[in-house]
Amino acid sequence: MIKVIIGTMLVQMKQSFARPMFRFCLIANPILNTILLYEMYKESGETNYMAYVVLGAGLMGLWSCICFSSAGDINRERYSGTLALIFAAPARFPSIILGKIIGNTIMSLLTMVISLITAKALFGISLKLESPIYFFVALIAAIIAFIVISSVIACILTLSRKTELYMNCIEIPIILLCGFVFPVSVLPYGVRVISYALSPTYAIELMRMAVWGVTDKAVFIEKLGILLGLTVVYAIFSVILYRRIDKRVRIAATLEVA
Amino acid sequence: MEYVICVENLKREFASKKGLIKKENKVVKAVDGISFEVEKGEIFGLLGQNGAGKTTTIKMLTTLLAPTSGKCEVLGYKTFGDEKKIRSEINFIFGGEMGVYRRLSARDNLRYFSNLYLIPKKEQDERIDQILKLVDLADRADDLAETYSKGMIQRLQIARGLINDPEILFMDEPTVGLDPVGARMLRDIIRKLKEAGKTVLLTTHNLAEVEELCDHLVIINKGKIIARGTPQSIKGAHATLEDSYVELVKEVSA
Repeated sequence: MIKVIIGTMLVQMKQSFARPMFRFCLIANPILNTILLYEMYKESGETNYMAYVVLGAGLMGLWSCICFSSAGDINRERYSGTLALIFAAPARFPSIILGKIIGNTIMSLLTMVISLITAKALFGISLKLESPIYFFVALIAAIIAFIVISSVIACILTLSRKTELYMNCIEIPIILLCGFVFPVSVLPYGVRVISYALSPTYAIELMRMAVWGVTDKAVFIEKLGILLGLTVVYAIFSVILYRRIDKRVRIAATLEVA
Repeated sequence: MEYVICVENLKREFASKKGLIKKENKVVKAVDGISFEVEKGEIFGLLGQNGAGKTTTIKMLTTLLAPTSGKCEVLGYKTFGDEKKIRSEINFIFGGEMGVYRRLSARDNLRYFSNLYLIPKKEQDERIDQILKLVDLADRADDLAETYSKGMIQRLQIARGLINDPEILFMDEPTVGLDPVGARMLRDIIRKLKEAGKTVLLTTHNLAEVEELCDHLVIINKGKIIARGTPQSIKGAHATLEDSYVELVKEVSA
C-alpha cells in the first residue's frame, strides 16, 4: 500500500507539473492573489499582512490546486481512459487516489512560499511569525485536513461525469466559507454554522493564531482538537464512501466516458 | 475441460432519463442473455457489429461493469463480488489511443502500472525491458508518450496489458490504429501467449484475423448470440468467414 501511494505520488507530481493549468494555479495564482489582497488590505488598518495577505493568497492557491488537480484528476483519468485501468488494478483504488492527493498537496504547498516571496519582493512585507512551533503544528494539521477533504471530494466525483462543473462550484464557496482571506466572524450567523462544520476553517484559524502569536494555549489546543476530530469524521466518511462507490460506479457505469 | 470464463444468461441494461420536467426512463439492453464458455489456453473471438454488446461483455468480464443479471465468472470467481481475486490474474487492452499517461514515458507508464499490479521492484526493470523489446518500443522507451505516433501508443497499450503476465488477456479491437507491421506483431504476441498456455478473449472487426487466430468464437447481434463454433464451422460452405458473417447478420436483421 505504501509503495502504491509513493509511486502514485511521484507520478502525479510529474504529471501535474507538466500541465499548464496546474503551473498557473501553483505559480501565477498566488502572485496575483497576493497583489490583489495587499491592495484590498492596504487601507484597512490591518498591519499584519502575513495573517491575511500572505496566508490568504497562499491558501487560495493551495485550494485552487487541490480543486483543479485532486478533483479534476478524476475527470482527466476518465477522459484519457486510465480511470478504468487504475480502478481495475489489484492495488486498492483509495490508495491510488490518496497517492495522487498527497502528491498534489505537497506540490501545492509551494503556493505559500510563492505568496511569501511575492509579498516580500513587491511590498516589502516580512515574515512575522510570532509562534513558529505552533504554526508548524497548525500547518501539518492543515495539510492532513486538506488531504482528507480532497479525498472525500475525489471520491464523490468518481460517481459523476459532471466533475468539471462541481469542481468549479466548490472552489470559491470554500474560500469564502472557511475564511481564507477574512475572519469567519464577519459572516452572518447562519453561514458561520456551515463554516464551522468545515475543517479548513479551523486549520486557517490555527495558522492565523500562530502568526499573531498564541497567547492562550488552551484555545489553540481546543481548536486543534476540533480540527483533528472533524478530520477523523471526514476520513471515516471517506472510507465508507469509497466502499460504496466501488460497487456504485460499476452499476452506474461512470468509470468511462459513454 | 477447464473453463476459465463462464457466462450464462448474462444481461446488462443501461437506464437513462430523458426530458426536463416529465422525465422519461429509457432502458437499453446492451447484452441480452448471452451464454458461452472459454477454455483455458484458447483464443476466443467475440464478433459483432458496432453496438452489438461486445465491449459491454468485456467490461463485465474485466470487473469494470456490474451485470444486471446472469452468471459472469472468470477463473471461477464472480466478476462482481469476487473482483479482488480476479484482478491480478487478468489484464485488458482497449483499442484506440486511450489508456496511457501521455505525459509520461513508456518506461514510466509501465513502471507505474507494475506498481499498481504489485509486481516486486526487483522484477520490474527486467520485465519492463523485455516487454518494451517485444512491442518494439525499446528505442523510444524514455520519450514522452505524447510524442508517439498512434501505432506506438497502441503498442504501449499492449505492453501495459502484458505487464502482469496475465492468465487471461482481454483485447477489445486491439488492432485499431495499428499499421500492418504492428498488427502482425500483435498477432505474433497473441500466438506466443497461447503457446505459453494463456487465454485470450478478442474482439475485432478483422475477420481474417479471427480466422487465423481464434479457436472458438461467438457472433453477437443486438446483445444476443446468433452463432457459435469454430471459425471453420461458422464459415461452413462460404468462401470466407466474412461472407458467412455478413449473411448471418443480414438474416437476423431482416
